[in-house]
Amino acid sequence: MQKKPFLTPADIALELDISTSTVLRKIHAGEIPAIVVSDRIYRIPAASFELYKAGRLKSAQPAPLGQPRPRPRIGEGEGKPVAAGAAPLRRA
Amino acid sequence: MATIPELRRYLGDLSAILWNFGAVFPTPTLDPYDDGSYGFAFSALLPGSAAPKPASIKMMETWEPAQAGRYTRVEYGYDFVEYPLDRRRAFHRHDEEYFLREFGVTVHEHCEEVLGQPDCDHYMGLPIDGYEAIRRFTILWGQAKPLGCAALRCME
Repeated sequence: MQKKPFLTPADIALELDISTSTVLRKIHAGEIPAIVVSDRIYRIPAASFELYKAGRLKSAQPAPLGQPRPRPRIGEGEGKPVAAGAAPLRRA
Repeated sequence: MATIPELRRYLGDLSAILWNFGAVFPTPTLDPYDDGSYGFAFSALLPGSAAPKPASIKMMETWEPAQAGRYTRVEYGYDFVEYPLDRRRAFHRHDEEYFLREFGVTVHEHCEEVLGQPDCDHYMGLPIDGYEAIRRFTILWGQAKPLGCAALRCME
């Protein structure tokens, strides 16, 4: 059977043999990564749960400083929109 | 506004969030750019279906000096391309002078229910940061329902 790509708190509770409310406490405490879809809906990527079970979740560390480099152009190659009534400039 | 140590922590936070969702990417660096600004640019591959390619999240930001060792975010590009579901969502801030002059806005969005076939090239949006971009992308990730492009306001 194919593994589900996302799990619910109830799925996690079943697998860990703990209550769903305990799973939710772990999510709120940041122990189990979860996608917060809404106040009441949480989705846990299966990959996150695997990392949790393996004790391989990463804690945030300050990113290293890189080497000086040219500034990249964000949005390069993207066309610009034309306001209604204006002559077209260029499109993507 | 943020200091360089704060920007390093922010980028570290974004990286950890994505890594802990199972995303794969090399450790990103906060880079000094040749014009005195700082920024980062990295792409993360998400787990799940890899056909035709894994879904990806690309994160780019540029921060310019503002005052006394503090920097302000002046550009961003957050892109989510979900190849397995053939679609794209993005939040952009660039070419600010043009967008302010023509539309009175600083940011715009992209939304493609079918990759490469947008009903509109640029949508109105509100400014967000990297945390919010990841939050919005991951809510969409792997869900077969539409992105909701039709509910957005087209600029053109």
